[in-house]
Order: sequence, then C-alpha cells, then structure tokens
Amino acid sequence: MESIIEVRNLTKVFKSRGRKITAVSDVSFDINKGEIFSMIGPNGAGKSTIFAMMTTLIKPTSGSIKVAGFDAENEDDRIRPVIGIVPQKLSLYPDLTARENLELMGNLYDVPKKVMEERIEYYLKLVNLETHANRFTGGFSGGMKQRLSVISAVIHDPQIIFWDEPTTGLDPQTRQAIWKLARKFNTEGKTLIFTTHYMDEADKLCDRVAVMNAGKLMALDTPENLKKTSNSASLEDVFIHLTGEEIRD
Amino acid sequence: MDVKTELRKSWIIMIKEFKQILRKKAFMIPLFLFPIVMIIFFGYGMGGTVKNVDILVINDDTGTASSSLVQEIGSFIPKYGDVKMFSIIYTKDMGQSEAERKIDAGLYKAVLIIPQDYSERMARNESVTLTLLTDSSDTTSSGIIINFMKQLFAGTSNSLVSLNIPDIYGKLQYIDFLTPAIIALTVFIGTIQTMGYAIAGERQDGTLVRIMMTPVSRGAVILGKTLHQLILQLARAMVLIIGAIVILGVKMNGSWLLVALVLIIFTFGAVGLGIAISAVSEDMISFQAISMLVAFPSMFATGVFYPLSSVPDWMRWIAYIVPLTYANDAMRTIMVKGQGLAFIANDLIILLFFAVFYFGLGVYLFRREA
Repeated sequence: MESIIEVRNLTKVFKSRGRKITAVSDVSFDINKGEIFSMIGPNGAGKSTIFAMMTTLIKPTSGSIKVAGFDAENEDDRIRPVIGIVPQKLSLYPDLTARENLELMGNLYDVPKKVMEERIEYYLKLVNLETHANRFTGGFSGGMKQRLSVISAVIHDPQIIFWDEPTTGLDPQTRQAIWKLARKFNTEGKTLIFTTHYMDEADKLCDRVAVMNAGKLMALDTPENLKKTSNSASLEDVFIHLTGEEIRD
Repeated sequence: MDVKTELRKSWIIMIKEFKQILRKKAFMIPLFLFPIVMIIFFGYGMGGTVKNVDILVINDDTGTASSSLVQEIGSFIPKYGDVKMFSIIYTKDMGQSEAERKIDAGLYKAVLIIPQDYSERMARNESVTLTLLTDSSDTTSSGIIINFMKQLFAGTSNSLVSLNIPDIYGKLQYIDFLTPAIIALTVFIGTIQTMGYAIAGERQDGTLVRIMMTPVSRGAVILGKTLHQLILQLARAMVLIIGAIVILGVKMNGSWLLVALVLIIFTFGAVGLGIAISAVSEDMISFQAISMLVAFPSMFATGVFYPLSSVPDWMRWIAYIVPLTYANDAMRTIMVKGQGLAFIANDLIILLFFAVFYFGLGVYLFRREA
C-alpha cells in the first residue's frame, strides 16, 4: 500500500526547568493512504507529541516525518493545506456564528468563495447544523461544537484528517454521528488519524492501531491481529497487556 | 507566501478581530467610559507641588533696584523637603517672543521679564509692571509659580510693582493639562489589555493554535491584530478628544494629523509590549497581573496627573524609560500649546525607538512561543 505519512526514528525531548523529558523515543511507522489509523496509549505515552509533530506544530529533536511527500520540518507550508486538524479542545470563536467560523477557516485556507459557500451549505446540512448557521457558537452544546469543529477542519477538502480524541465527553448519539462522519470521509478517500482513549472506538473504526507507551511504539497492527497476538478478547485487554496496569499522571 | 497573500490574510484576521470586539458590549462600554470617569474624577480632584522647576529671569536693567529684586527672588524660593521648588536662571537681552519660544520648547516653565527702566522708575517712585510668562499647558506648575511671584511681590516689594501675566496658550484649566495625557494613557492601557485578550485569551481558548495550524504565517497573524489595534485605538482617541472638547470644553489648539501620527507610533509600541507580555504569560490571569504591573507605575510616574517636576527623582527615572512619558509630552505640546512637528520631534524619535524595540521584542517572543 502507498504510504501517505512516513515517520522515521522520531525522537522529541522537552527541556523543562533544567530537566530533559523524552516524550517520544526513536519511533518509526508508516500510515497508508486511505486508511483509518489510531494511536492509543495511556496519558504521557507520547501520542499528542507525535500528533503535534505530524501536524507541523512542533519540530522533532531528531528523526524525520514526511506527510504527503513533504518534510514536516522544512516544508510545513506545503503540508498545512493538505491536512485538516480537529483539535481535542473545541477551538471555535464563541462570538462568531457557525457560518463565520467556517468562512474564517475557508478564507485562511484560500478556498474560492463560491466553492466555500457550497461546502458550507453541504457540511452544515451533513452535520444537522443548517438551522443554526447564523447563531453564535458560544451558545452551542458540546455535540454541536464538536460537529462544527469537524467540518471546520475539512472545509478546504484535505487529504488527511488528524483527529485528537474525537468523541471524548460526547453522548452516545453524538459519538455514533461522529463515527458515521469519519467513515464517510474515509469512503471519500481521506486518510484519518485518531488519538483516542476509547478502545471500542479504535476497535470498531480503525484499520490499524498503534499502541504507545512511555514514548515508545509497543505494537502496530490491525485490531484483530493485535488481539490474536496477545491472546486477548478485547483491545482493552491488549492495551493493558502492552502498557501495564499502573495509573499514569 | 507573497505580499498580496500576506496582506489579504492580515485583512481576514483584522475583520475577524473587529467582529469579535464589536460584539463584546460589556467590554465596549468601559472601553469608552473608563477614561471619561478618570478625567472627571482626577481632573477636579488632584493637585500637587513642584521641585527644581526652571524659571528664567530676563533682566535688561543695570540699576541697583533690579539687582536687589533679583537677590530677593533668589532668597525667597521655598523648599519642598530639602529641594528648592524653583531653579532661577538669569539672562538679559531677550525679547518676549523669544522667551515664549523657550517656553514652547519646554526649556522653562516660566519667564519673568524685568523692564529696562525698572530701577529708574523705582527711583522716581513710579509704578512699574513686570511680565510673567508661564507654561500654562502645565496648569499645576504654572499656578504654583504665579502664586509664588504674587507672594514675593506682596511680601517684599512696595506697592509700585505689579505683575502682568498674559495667557500665552489662552485660558487653561487643569483639565486641559490632563486630557491629552489621559488619552495617551487610555491608548496605552487599552492596547495592552486588548492585545492580551487577542493573544493570551485566544491561546487559552485554543483558537490561536487552530489559526496557527492553517497556512497563515505568524507575521500575518500579528499584522492583522496590529492593524485592528491601530484603527480601534485611533478611533477611540478621536471620539474621546471630540467628547472632551464638546462636553468638557477642553481646548484642541494643534493638528489632528500630528495627534494621529503620535498615537500611531505610540500604539505600535504598546501593541509590541502587549504581545511581549502575552507571550510570557501562561494564561489571562497571569497576563492581567503582569500588565497591571506595567500599567500602574506608568499611570502615576509619567506625568499624567501631575507634572514630572513634582514626582520624586526615582520615579522620574522610571518615567524616562516608559514611552507614555513622551506620548504625554507630545500630546500636550500639540493639543495645548498648538505646536508643530519641530517641537515634538524629540518625543517622536524616542517613541519610534520604543515602538521598534517593543514591537521587535513582541514579535520575537511570539514567534518563539508559537
């Protein structure tokens, strides 16, 4: 299969008050074009750091990342137009309407006006927000904000969508709706990359799952193979088997 | 990214900033009300004293009566603590118009002109009038000097001597002295506060990171936010000046364009300082704490409410490193004295230096932090 992201010997060390903290240690993997890929791991496993490096927000200490053929360290301006990011924190402007939030992102991504207007109408309808288009997002529920946040990230039609903990804190109906949306984007040919703490989410939704622990890649395979290899009935058992039972800070 | 794209994206950011701020009604009301309350409360309620204020005495008379008057002036100077309130400098052969120019340029707070025939008239027991020119744009210093001179002549000389005190800038009140500086202060604090929301607040909300994830440069983000500030603060200052003229009867003797020029350069510096404080603040609360630390000393040390000559020496040294000091001086020179570019050139150069320094520092810290 064709790789759309290549991570090679990736290491990230943070310096804080004279201390060195290795958040990611010598990690290598590929993400295939058109797959739904998930990173799971306990708190502090390094998922968010890898996520931030793949989305060009922070630079690696060593190693390399290629996203859609571009080097993440030196070609971040080429990468940003081809990726869409749904952050965990629902970062919408509360004093702009839903439509204005979408227009702002569309404009910053240079989406032509006519195309943008069509996409806004399409996506608002897709996530059942068309009647709320002209409301300020400050009054939206968590589920509405999550849906709007998702379509804000795809308004420029990216090849790759990075999705940080997509369903954390959402009710079952909204979770189902988000999964449906993710599958729809995937059937359109987009590559989806998640981080999640929900094992059922990774199990049901993802083609392959990377298990991270303490900055290292512990395993990477399909959910079925991971369960088989560790002789576990569920992905949660695989997770505990690979990362241990102790609670992380 | 080409210049056109940069500018277009800056425009997008600027429009977004305006949409947001215009919708914050609870924020907009104090934005304009705060300085008016300050002007009313402080304008009618505060006074002060002065130290080491320079007074020029022009004595074109060579007789003994004028010599003894000069001695009397020197010995009559009151002290504030250990420091004399006035420093008297003597000269001769200077006309009134040249003396007025010295006051315009801020070299002296007052000039006392002893006429050529002073001793002769005194010898003949004829009345004689001395001219006292004061920098009435600084109403505090001017009032203290006039009182001093009146007491001097009432107490030590005979009734033949009288004082002529022309209003070289028209009839001015303390509020005329206060208003230009309150406007500069408002722009200073307002810019820092709104930049805090625009950077530290957006970072706290997560929206700044989201913007940074798009194909927009950090430079375009800063430029968009800066343009928004410049337009907002200029509009605000103009509304305040017009309000002060119409409601409070404050005088505007100088050029609006020069006021705009001073405020543009000054706002650039304040934007930079706001960005720098935001960049080193973890959240809005820490931003508020740091910005108050900057705002309060600036408010009281830079001659907003009383002339710089009345503050302690240590405070004056603080004033010299705060751009608000120079903005206050330039604003008063334009609005009250009605002077032009030549008279605010020094202030503008220093403000420009501060603007480049703070803006450079702000951009550097923002880029590093982002």
